[in-house]
Amino acid sequence: MEFACCWTKKELAPEECPNIAEGEEELYSVYRRRVVEKCIDCPLFANDLLRFKESGHPLSEIFSIVVSEFLDQKSQLQSLGGFLTSKTREIKFLHELSLVLQTSVDLDEVLSVAMTAITAGKGFGMNRAFLLMTDKERQALCGYLGVGPRTMEEAWHIWEDVNRSNLTLRDMARLFQKNKLSSEKVKFNDILERLSVPLRDQQHVFNRALRERKPILVENAFSNPDIDPALAQLLGVDSFLIMPLISRHRRIGLILADNCITRKPITNQDLQSMETFAFPVAFALERASLYERLQVEIDKLTVANIKLKEQQELIVKMEKMALVGRITSSIAHSIRNPLMIIGGFARSLLKNMEQDDSKRDYLETIVHEAKQLEGVLEEVLSYSESLYPALDTWDINQLISGVRDELAGQLAQRGVTCVLELAPELPKVSIDYRKIAYCIKTIITSSLETITGEGEIVIRTWRDDGVVAVKISDNGTPLSPEMVETLTTPFMVTQNLGTGAGLPLCKTILEKHGSPFIIESSPEGGTQYIIRLPIKEGM
Amino acid sequence: MARLLVVDDESSIRLLYSQELADAGYDVVTAGNAAEAVAQLEGGEFDLVVLDIKLKNESGLDLLQKIVKERHEMPVILCTAFSCYKDDFSAWLADGYVVKSSDLQELKEEIRKVLAKKSR
Repeated sequence: MEFACCWTKKELAPEECPNIAEGEEELYSVYRRRVVEKCIDCPLFANDLLRFKESGHPLSEIFSIVVSEFLDQKSQLQSLGGFLTSKTREIKFLHELSLVLQTSVDLDEVLSVAMTAITAGKGFGMNRAFLLMTDKERQALCGYLGVGPRTMEEAWHIWEDVNRSNLTLRDMARLFQKNKLSSEKVKFNDILERLSVPLRDQQHVFNRALRERKPILVENAFSNPDIDPALAQLLGVDSFLIMPLISRHRRIGLILADNCITRKPITNQDLQSMETFAFPVAFALERASLYERLQVEIDKLTVANIKLKEQQELIVKMEKMALVGRITSSIAHSIRNPLMIIGGFARSLLKNMEQDDSKRDYLETIVHEAKQLEGVLEEVLSYSESLYPALDTWDINQLISGVRDELAGQLAQRGVTCVLELAPELPKVSIDYRKIAYCIKTIITSSLETITGEGEIVIRTWRDDGVVAVKISDNGTPLSPEMVETLTTPFMVTQNLGTGAGLPLCKTILEKHGSPFIIESSPEGGTQYIIRLPIKEGM
Repeated sequence: MARLLVVDDESSIRLLYSQELADAGYDVVTAGNAAEAVAQLEGGEFDLVVLDIKLKNESGLDLLQKIVKERHEMPVILCTAFSCYKDDFSAWLADGYVVKSSDLQELKEEIRKVLAKKSR
């Protein structure tokens, strides 16, 4: 029987078999491998096999079955191999990802890695992703970052760039963090703002994903009754993926991902891969944000420690100086009274003495010397008093918080809340702490008098043109112009302390500090008191 | 003739004040402590009080508050060896503040001014 193919030959000459490519030359002489790898798929061999079958040889039937079974097994093995390769790649990617996520405590780096992983071709290959973070204060999921192209044209640029480089995930994330993170934050601002959802909106699909702790693959978004049409409109896609980020029991946020450019369908396989990825991302995000907060606290503590040390040194110095001052002052005062008596009586005697009295000189000398000594005493005293001055530089915010705490009981008893809106990093003011604290306390208690039932007092501080301004406003009964007039009349001795004399006294104290004292009706109803304390130069 | 109450714990100073202020034409009564001062104020009419801040074991500023509370119209001049109380706002209740000196001219001037203001 004549066969068309070369499979009958143990050795082949080059170019005798069209299936052997460059680099496979050893197959010319390795017979067994050539048959299994090349001949079995060769159309000429298939022809020969057909002819063998037609020859009616008893083995031909069995031989055909064996060959066809072999071919089936080979193709199954090949597809399994492909699956294995893709899984190996995925595991390698996840390993690389988790390595980066586990070692990073930088929030921006974690964000960059996570977002790059979702959108990079060698990662999950989604076109676009949005990160929403839980904002505890606002009790909402808030749009935080968006990554991806906005237009087809931009998409081509990005993909071209990515294809040209052969970077690892970490390198890609680093490039992203360095070049793009801040611009991407701005790029999607319009969408991010509108993505925010209050946590109490239980029906919203975002909150459902968080509650069920499972990713949701949204399909037919435009006609899906579970999806707010505004959300579908905003994203402009029919299908997207919602991946909740939950670390232990804390809802960190969620990631939205879609294929807004290629419109490639999102498969269940994508969903599963992303689910594996969600936990390490959530955990890393939580850790990084905790670390960031910790760092802030550490910085604050360091500053506070330095301040404390400075204050301690100052206190020691002041104590020493004050001691010197006290001793000097005590000596000077005990001299002053007898000196005054000596000098005073000498003057008395002198007044009633005849002009030509021979003892007049003595008395004049006593008067003169006493006067001189009084001058020296005055100097010593003013020096010793300057050693512990009443005026010092203080942080007005600290003073206000202190007064509020002191009055906390009284405020709570009256059902009045006192809200502080204090501007951070205010310059220090040069004030007598005790007196200004007295003023703030008096204003708050006066405000309390005008509030019936539950009310609110707001204390706001801010820097304003060479001064630190303090505004205390209440929502009580507004004061009449006559009352304001009475309250700001200069301090008179006829008024009793503790019965309405407080505010005029405040006015006097504040004027001595170079501050006006403005009492007026506040736009919100009630009364507002404004103080403007000059900033000490160089503070 | 205006009637003055001088409160000072030092007897020599009371003597000096009585003599000098009497020479200046005032009717002067003295008290050595707060209780005596209160008794004098309750027992008679006065036009002005000259008050020392450091009384033995007592504060002239407490007495000042008491006088201001009970006798709104009574002018008080603080006369003290300490100039630092000028900044103490409890001393601001007084109508005048004079630092003690062997030359009583300043005190006499202050008394004259406060009395003139009162009679206006």
